Amino acid sequence: MNQNYPITIYQEPDLPRSSLVLGWSEDAGDLGRKVTDYLNLKLNGQEFAEVDPEDFFPMGGVAIKDNIARFPESKFYACPEHELAILRTDSPLAEWYKFLNSVLDVAERHCRVRELYVLGAMISFSAHTAPRQLIAVVNSTEMKEVLTQDDLNRDMDYQTQPGERPTLNSFLLWLARERNIPGVSVWVLIPFYLAAMEDPQAQRKVLSFLSERLGLRIDFSDLDQEIGEQNEQLAVARSRFPQIDDYINRLESNLVLSREENGELVKKIEEFLGEGD
Amino acid sequence: MGIRLRQEPQLENPTLIASWPGIGNIGIIAVDTLRGILEAEEFGEIEPWEFFYPKRVLIRKGVLEYLEFPSSKFYFKRLGGKEIIFFIGEEQPTEGGRMYAEGEKAYRMADLVLDVAEKFKCHRVYTSGAAVALIHHTAKPRVWAVPNSRGLVAEIRRYGNTVLMSDIEGRGGHGNITGLNGLLLGVAKKRGFEAICLMGEIPVYLQGLPLSYPKASKSVLEVLSRSLGVEVDLDTLDELDQKVQQRIEEFYQQIPLEIRGQLDRLKHVAYTQPAEPGPITEEEEKKIVEDVEKFFKKRGEGG
Repeated sequence: MNQNYPITIYQEPDLPRSSLVLGWSEDAGDLGRKVTDYLNLKLNGQEFAEVDPEDFFPMGGVAIKDNIARFPESKFYACPEHELAILRTDSPLAEWYKFLNSVLDVAERHCRVRELYVLGAMISFSAHTAPRQLIAVVNSTEMKEVLTQDDLNRDMDYQTQPGERPTLNSFLLWLARERNIPGVSVWVLIPFYLAAMEDPQAQRKVLSFLSERLGLRIDFSDLDQEIGEQNEQLAVARSRFPQIDDYINRLESNLVLSREENGELVKKIEEFLGEGD
Repeated sequence: MGIRLRQEPQLENPTLIASWPGIGNIGIIAVDTLRGILEAEEFGEIEPWEFFYPKRVLIRKGVLEYLEFPSSKFYFKRLGGKEIIFFIGEEQPTEGGRMYAEGEKAYRMADLVLDVAEKFKCHRVYTSGAAVALIHHTAKPRVWAVPNSRGLVAEIRRYGNTVLMSDIEGRGGHGNITGLNGLLLGVAKKRGFEAICLMGEIPVYLQGLPLSYPKASKSVLEVLSRSLGVEVDLDTLDELDQKVQQRIEEFYQQIPLEIRGQLDRLKHVAYTQPAEPGPITEEEEKKIVEDVEKFFKKRGEGG
């Protein structure tokens, strides 16, 4: 590993120009991992590089998730025929500036990236039956002008609240702007009771946006089937458990549940959907 | 990464006073209050990106307008024949959830601060922080002074309301100063600057509370202004102290009677030299600290 450039390139990608899509592995609804995996599967993404982890993650042991030992990964994939680079990565826990600059170094030097798409999931207090909303935050007004999708909220106002910190998406967009790389942070709203699981409808929303924007022409029939199956499961949960139905009905009527009710809904949905695994 | 200077003031022989946040924010409140009173002028900063995670973002109409990082700024003031450079670090560059900076980043930050000191020919460096002490919150805090060379001891002894580590019972002249307020003292020594760290006392039972302790900042500022030969009006700190003391009293009344009884005895602690027996024995001191720690642990577990 080069001390100043913590990247291993396995194979130089054939990307004379490209867009980079970045997904975080541990997003709400497992969004970043699922979307980047889906793109890699459909577009035959080939791994070509990774960020070496030791500067950015504690090396004091391994985390275990769903019975399996995990090790932090930050892997780049190339889809040359679609002029697309994909990065699926764990969120760094230290040296954020160095990590994000390393990502942008790969993007510039090896992928000649012209646009950056950073994915993110936000928790929503809407029901799963409501359409997923998409929000774009851009790092330049020029980028905003080219995002013309009808169902995209491009006018969000936000500032960090006391006790909070900006997201890595904002940090990366800001660094990209310093390098004159136009970038957009694409946020999808995920119902809170699906946040700890998967939300194929949210994945579909983001993937549709990317497909349209980048001209990927992906066939989403398998994902649509998955959405249908999850909706059916949730309908069964509502019919079997009046309490779940009551909570979701109230969310559908734009009513607010108490903190305890939110917690109970999450628990019951997770238990029910977990049984199907 | 480095230092950005907006202007290069012509200074002959300035004193550098530096501080970062710490327990009770004692040092940084003292230093920043002095900077404010003297209306020192900002002239530079340490670039923050490699040291800090951003602290604020502003997004307007979907466009990321700016990202703000914790600041590390330099100020200067000429005052008659005196020249002072202030350095105020808004945060310590910590990693992995630690409270204080340590390791490579802390060392680099200290080095950069001293690069500026060297550039402007500083002859003396002061840092400031907190000293956790077995005192009561109604008592006037003393200032523990740690120099980085033996030649400064005689000067410190003339400050008033100030003690050296060897004056503190049970310390034997030893101790640690955690974080950058301490590290700068050591790096200054390595680079040949004379330096003194002034630490205001904070009661042991207040060290874990998210409260500033301006009473100790005032003690530090009294010593600092005397040492610098600068007269300052400390009314602002008195006002702040009154507000904080009210909150401390409210908290104090929540402490179980038995422990509070022990703590009340601290009101009668007379500052002692090591050879003199104090009104509280060493064993009793130990018990007070243990009881207080138990109380906070229990309180923390209870959420």
